[in-house]
Amino acid sequence: MIKTEKQRVVTPEYLFFEAPRTRSYITGSEAANEAVRRGNVDIAIAYPITPQSETMQQVGELYAEGYLRDYYRAEDEVGAFAAMSGASRTGVRCLTASSGPGLMRGLETVASWPGHRLPLVFLIMCRVINAPLSIQPDNLELGYMLLTGNVVLHAENQQDFFDYTLAGFVISEKCEVTLPVAVAVDGFFVTHARGWVEMPSADLKLPARECYSEAVPMIDNENPPIRIARDAPIQKSNFISYQMHAAWQQEIQAALERSRQWITRYLGGLIEVVNPGAETMLIASGSAVSQSREAVRQAEEAGKEVGLIKIKSLRPFPGEELRQACAHAKRIIVPEFNCIGWLNREVRSTLYGWVDAEIADGPRVCGGITMPTEMILEWVFEGKPL
Amino acid sequence: MKSCTPYCITTGPAGLLPPAAACCGIVLPEKGQGLVEGRLVSEEAALEVMAQELLSRKNPTIFPGPLVLWAWKEGVSEKAASVLELAEEIPGVRIIPMPDYRPIYPKIDPEAVINPCHPNLTIWYNKIEVCVFVGVHCHFANITLRMIRAGTNCYTITLCHSAGHEDSMASLPFCDVEQVRALTEAVRRLKRQGLRPRHGDACGIQLTHAQQAVEAGLVWRPA
Amino acid sequence: MALKTLKVAPGFMRFMPKEYQDLVEKGPFGRQIKLSELGTFKEVLEEHPMCEGCAMALFIRLSLIGLPNPEHTIIVGTAGCGRLALAQAAIPFVYGNYCDTNGVASGIKRGLAIRFPEQDKDVVVMAGDGGIADIGFSQVMHAWFRKEKFTTVMLDNEVYGNTGGQESGMTCRGTVVKMAPTGKQFEKIDMIGLAQNAGVSYIARLTPTNPGRVVSTIRKAVLVARKIGPAYVQAYTSCNIEYSIPPDRVLDDARQVEKERYGYLEIMTDEAKSYLAQVEAETRTPEAVATV
Repeated sequence: MIKTEKQRVVTPEYLFFEAPRTRSYITGSEAANEAVRRGNVDIAIAYPITPQSETMQQVGELYAEGYLRDYYRAEDEVGAFAAMSGASRTGVRCLTASSGPGLMRGLETVASWPGHRLPLVFLIMCRVINAPLSIQPDNLELGYMLLTGNVVLHAENQQDFFDYTLAGFVISEKCEVTLPVAVAVDGFFVTHARGWVEMPSADLKLPARECYSEAVPMIDNENPPIRIARDAPIQKSNFISYQMHAAWQQEIQAALERSRQWITRYLGGLIEVVNPGAETMLIASGSAVSQSREAVRQAEEAGKEVGLIKIKSLRPFPGEELRQACAHAKRIIVPEFNCIGWLNREVRSTLYGWVDAEIADGPRVCGGITMPTEMILEWVFEGKPL
Repeated sequence: MKSCTPYCITTGPAGLLPPAAACCGIVLPEKGQGLVEGRLVSEEAALEVMAQELLSRKNPTIFPGPLVLWAWKEGVSEKAASVLELAEEIPGVRIIPMPDYRPIYPKIDPEAVINPCHPNLTIWYNKIEVCVFVGVHCHFANITLRMIRAGTNCYTITLCHSAGHEDSMASLPFCDVEQVRALTEAVRRLKRQGLRPRHGDACGIQLTHAQQAVEAGLVWRPA
Repeated sequence: MALKTLKVAPGFMRFMPKEYQDLVEKGPFGRQIKLSELGTFKEVLEEHPMCEGCAMALFIRLSLIGLPNPEHTIIVGTAGCGRLALAQAAIPFVYGNYCDTNGVASGIKRGLAIRFPEQDKDVVVMAGDGGIADIGFSQVMHAWFRKEKFTTVMLDNEVYGNTGGQESGMTCRGTVVKMAPTGKQFEKIDMIGLAQNAGVSYIARLTPTNPGRVVSTIRKAVLVARKIGPAYVQAYTSCNIEYSIPPDRVLDDARQVEKERYGYLEIMTDEAKSYLAQVEAETRTPEAVATV
């Protein structure tokens, strides 16, 4: 018997919140793989790239063991993501993954998934995208992902990578969402480093995808309508065609909004706040959160209370939550692992006109450099130019 | 500090490109609730409003979608029967199907179909001021509803098989035969209570000219 | 069985548009139709926005008649003229991104195989010469290398018709078209040879001059793809606009091109040949003939 058939189907609520968990000291790549093992995934397709390969080759092993029903190494990222587009349209649960340049190569397809209303989980193990070529961690690529209409979750550590991936399947397939969910982590810092991960038994798995309960018909000839130009080529040059496309684009944004309630239910909210009353607030996502946590601790030792807002969901962006959490703040600092400061821009546009705080333009590292806590503390204590 | 005022989903025309209701803070109802003009209400209250609007506005029309038009799975026939039963209670009602979602070439016949690529043509042509969507996949229902709100004065009602629709003026989620029958009952009750339907007392579904022609075996050429 | 998606719910038939009433009552679904029956059944494609005299429109129309089980077929297309007609057909049509037809088809075929292991589901890519031989080349080749079981049909009009007449890889050498101001500098890509090298199970080259042959070629290709391995059909479907062929001379042009450089060609593996022979024998049994 193939292994997936030996697993017991349980509700997402049971799997996420009630099932007993045991701790394992594993890498982020292994954590994602363990989520896939419990995810009742039908098909996984990917093209190798560092640092993503660690996970997707392990997923290949899961296929060999019988946890997945199909798997192959695609010709490139465009081919992998295109095959995801096809498979998701037929109603099976889908997984793919990539890193940096691979994501950029397939970005046209990735940006088309939401419009095609394709539930799937897309793991992103971030890596430098700009020349000269480098495999080092840097999350500039997420700046592009923010514009695509995908749900984008940014995991801080190995535990998050496990939890967000598993929840991603469920959120993605909710009728009112019916969108791809990208789960990002910073490469190497998370994917190749070990951390404690609490996981439910591998004998349990999510229920199968209920494809006939989603927002669009499946391409399977078994559900109506028989004429499914689901991806309507709206290329007539008249107002009503423009209006239809506009309404379609709005629908993606609306679906992102609707995902909030499910992100809140399964991830405990779009943000996490540490020291909510502090006048100086750090706002971060991904690995920058871990560094910020330590900076908060060190600042406390030095006698200063510093707050931290961890952003779990980049899309939908926690605008209202940030406005409330920063209402009292006097100074906001946004540590990031990319040169462009996409999170800083998000924070500024979200808080503009809503808070009186000064928003610092950094600190940032890139190209594989980690962010020492001293760097964050410099911005906290010495007040870098705003 | 800025403040927000609650967004209302009222009949249009709302303008060039009104925002998606979900992006204006309107949330979907839970099972047992309904949504009226963007506000969460009880299922009973939503049914009452729907019945009232269906009887009071001009040219009530039911738009059955693929999920109820095609007997593709168990239970559809019963639901279809319940929709027809509802229609029979609404004087002057028409049934114009949405059998598919393709952009129809060369143009749609607004008396024969409604299409999510250009729903306003059917609303405008038939001067429909209240309509019911039932059995339409949520993605296509939502874009259709937004376009109708943008460009017409039609009051939109959705009997959704799934989570409901923020962009319709009245919406009921997780709608099955039971809820459709409850709406039929609400219509009957209002009539019993003395509400005079806009289109008189004579029940029975009105065929469009296109449907009459097809039924008579004539060749129909849309205007 | 998918015919359930063609059954109108009780009471609704009188409200359905005429074309749907006809599709339900006289469509080609659930039975094997023959070209000679044309005119007696409701075709899955009738109205479409293709240009007057378009050979591609004719080829698509005939191809759809050739599908062995339209009620279990999915068509995948991309940007180009063909999708304008395909989107109107009463067969699920997937309109993806640039270059992605054969990747998408791979995913569809595999997804359907997971969900419906007992039911043959046919996937047919229909895209232009640009979509198959230029921008989609990599995915086409790799789908063939992987031996994906679906059919790829190239609607070869030897130009980018939909974008206004630019050179494609399938344009003949020396032809002056847009983006080839001094004439195309290299030969028409030998996709037939590439298909052979990639191990495609059934390969055919044809023009729309012989409707019966179009119907039978598509049928054979889809049947082989269903059970044996990838199939490739390359059809000359001239762009009468960009090549200035009068609409009433389109078939004359096709006959001429067929005679000069686009003659009918059919190449198949022994396995495919044997399978088709088996299917042929089965359809000739008295029981099968009675049901056709």
